[in-house]
Amino acid sequence: MEKLLGLIMAGLPLIFAFGFLVPVIMQGMAAMEWQPPFGLSTFNFALFLGGSLGLLAQVRGRWI
Amino acid sequence: MEIAIARKHSGMFPWEIVVWAFGNMAVWLALWPLVIFDVVPLWLGFLIATVNMSLVYLPTHDAQHDIVARPGQKLRWLNELVGHATTWMIVTPFEVFRVTHLQHHRHTNDPQLDPDITSMASGPINAIWRSIRERQPDGKRTNDYLAAVARAGREDLIPIALFYKLGHVAILCLLAWGGFALEAFFLWWLPYHIAMVYLTFFLSWAPHHPGNEQARYRNTRSWKSALGNIGSMGMQFHIVHHLHPYIPLVRTPAAYREMRPILEARNCRLGKI
Repeated sequence: MEKLLGLIMAGLPLIFAFGFLVPVIMQGMAAMEWQPPFGLSTFNFALFLGGSLGLLAQVRGRWI
Repeated sequence: MEIAIARKHSGMFPWEIVVWAFGNMAVWLALWPLVIFDVVPLWLGFLIATVNMSLVYLPTHDAQHDIVARPGQKLRWLNELVGHATTWMIVTPFEVFRVTHLQHHRHTNDPQLDPDITSMASGPINAIWRSIRERQPDGKRTNDYLAAVARAGREDLIPIALFYKLGHVAILCLLAWGGFALEAFFLWWLPYHIAMVYLTFFLSWAPHHPGNEQARYRNTRSWKSALGNIGSMGMQFHIVHHLHPYIPLVRTPAAYREMRPILEARNCRLGKI
């Protein structure tokens, strides 16, 4: 159990990014009535932005 | 004389702290339906939630020191309830707070053994930055807390602490994908992080700054806060708390005023207050 928790903790930045940041970006854009650039759908844009931030945090060990 | 003053200001039931603990939690829980059903706008909910998050810690702090009731006393259950029922809001088990905080008292400002040593910083801006930096995945603070828990022989708390962290993320994700991402973000995630900066600044950095002395009468101080006693959550008188941790938070200003000449004589670090 502890091992499993440790494994999940190790991947937490990515889990947080795809599980939380992506919908926050999507719903934030919808609330502000912002259109994503380059003809992307809101979902794809949020996936790209949130996923990139999460990947960076996962690799660097910090968000900022 | 010092002990006599401390005793005079302790031992009473701190009803204010109990009302504070549960009232604060009730307001924060009520915010969710009020915001979701548009009774309260999200921006206002965010402001109130930030205050709520900032108010969670201090009642549990009194409970950590058994101030509501000591072991064996009739209201001991209430002491434990104040702690356990509220710390989940700031994503840390009560027992982890208790064990690490008692280690902080035992080893204040010790670079190796004080679990709060990562709060130390050269100035206020640096203290705020450090608080944010220490909550990143590679921050040292989490490791210091885990090490303090292990040193206290309470490794059993480590999986519980991890469970709290993962549970928090799981709830945020469920809310977000359920259509309440902005509510989760502005009522919990962001208020929590702002509150942690505020709490680290006023409860840890400011009262110990510069944090380079470990002697009992020198390891913390009194200081005058620009935000006053309420804005700094009573921490202007933190020296009294470190010397006599059984005094309820709401009684530390009165105890300090009475004790001040003695503290002066003991060469304590006293501000203009």
